[in-house]
Amino acid sequence: MANSIKVTDLCAGYGAVQVLNSVSLEVRDGETVTMLGTNGNGKSTLIKSIMGIVKPISGKVEAEIDGVTHNLIGMEPEQIVRLGIALVPEGRRLFPKLTVEENLLLGAYRGEARARIAENLDFCYQAFSRLAERRNQLAGSMSGGEQQMVALARAVMTSPKILLIDEPSVGLAPILVSRTIEKIGELKDKFKLTVLMAEQNFHQAVKIADRGYVIVHGHIEFEGRRDEMANNDMIKKLYLGI
Amino acid sequence: METTYLILNAIVAGLLLGGLYAAMASGVSISFGMLDVTNIAHPAFIILGSYIAYIVNSNWGFDPIVTSFVVSPLFYLLGLLLYRVYYYAFERKGQQSLRSLAFFFGILFITEVVLILIFGVDYRLVSAAYTEKTIQIAQYAMTPDSTLHVDLPLRMVVPFVVSMVMIFALNWFLSHTFFGRAVLAVAQDQFALRLMGVDPVKIKERAFGLSLAIAGVAGALLIVVQPVQPSIGRDFIGLVFAVCVLGGMGSIKGAVVGAMILGLAESFTSTFAGPSWAPAVSFGLLLLAVAFKPSGLFGR
Repeated sequence: MANSIKVTDLCAGYGAVQVLNSVSLEVRDGETVTMLGTNGNGKSTLIKSIMGIVKPISGKVEAEIDGVTHNLIGMEPEQIVRLGIALVPEGRRLFPKLTVEENLLLGAYRGEARARIAENLDFCYQAFSRLAERRNQLAGSMSGGEQQMVALARAVMTSPKILLIDEPSVGLAPILVSRTIEKIGELKDKFKLTVLMAEQNFHQAVKIADRGYVIVHGHIEFEGRRDEMANNDMIKKLYLGI
Repeated sequence: METTYLILNAIVAGLLLGGLYAAMASGVSISFGMLDVTNIAHPAFIILGSYIAYIVNSNWGFDPIVTSFVVSPLFYLLGLLLYRVYYYAFERKGQQSLRSLAFFFGILFITEVVLILIFGVDYRLVSAAYTEKTIQIAQYAMTPDSTLHVDLPLRMVVPFVVSMVMIFALNWFLSHTFFGRAVLAVAQDQFALRLMGVDPVKIKERAFGLSLAIAGVAGALLIVVQPVQPSIGRDFIGLVFAVCVLGGMGSIKGAVVGAMILGLAESFTSTFAGPSWAPAVSFGLLLLAVAFKPSGLFGR
């Protein structure tokens, strides 16, 4: 059953400030797509528009879940999550005064996730052995890298079909960035997820991405497969300094 | 020896009183500590619970505590309704703080005045099999004519036991159910909760209902312990909020410990310095706690 996201001619912003200008983007079934761009170009706004957090001015956002197409415009974030779309938000947004395990169990709130709670929890503790050791520690007392792991695991606990990740590498040491990106790849394979990831770090993101978009000042400036991204002049200029 | 017994009695009385305070404060621990709703009308609902227990008890002779559990669903529904009004009138517009304080003050006074209009300002009390009995333990014969003993008045013991069982159940419910964990999470990050597929407003609404249901039961416990008249609710505003802050905001365990500390402080001051000093000592303790551990004893 196919799971995909299709954004068509999306315009969105905050009050009088328009951030996204007629953006179209597609994540096909089983793909990992990365959205590149430096700060302030609209990556987060696009993700938030998909999740119903930012209400778009115009345009279409559709998601296909198990072959059924849903129009996401006008839906609340919690309704979108219940469809099977999970977001790992920027800044992780854990519940700092709850333990790691309590955070993960909250992820399994929706009905479909409750049915698979034991299986998903086992998997999370296997994939992130560090979290198994620290399951009774307060989430707020963990390091940034560990918190990112909790955030990823918590999103997996919602049993999603589509996973959106907003800047997983922010605030992490380089070694942790590459580990986080590898884990995202692992999760994707295990759960046969469709993944859209906003990221600034080109070298890391391109390791697991099938395709990529570059977003500049609210426009899609480039779209292409992984091999095309590595050889593109604009990306070289933006990211590689050549 | 007499001093030893004086102290023993003060400890026992303090803990029993603390049990009552814990029941009265645990509802506030939910609404104020976890939901960020400064419901200063909470004591008014406690008094309402007292009067319902009183009406049913004096007219039909039913047990006041059993009655309070039977009518607790009504308090729950009242809570749902009240939170809806609060949410649409204040919280959604981001005007919680001052205006909603006035709102809850209004509710407090309206409830009080309605009760006064119906029942007058006389003190009311309930009677049940246990209200007149006192068990004496640890007897010690001083002389053949006089014995020392520790008093366990059942009108204190029964509410203490009911309170502890209820709070234990509440604490278990909050940490072991999906709904309970969502209540714990809602004050920390509402946005993140929405990303778990949970509507935070529904969670807060139900949790607020739960806090009023507990207030209803606490009211019955109160009127078993002491006679009640409509305006004594106000005397408890400071107390219940002090217990929550002392114990740590949003921690049920902390509320119990805070209630015990204030109960003991009150009992010791009453025994050794006179009852009028009790509030001074209680709030003195609160000041010290806030100065040295602002998050409260069990704040996490």
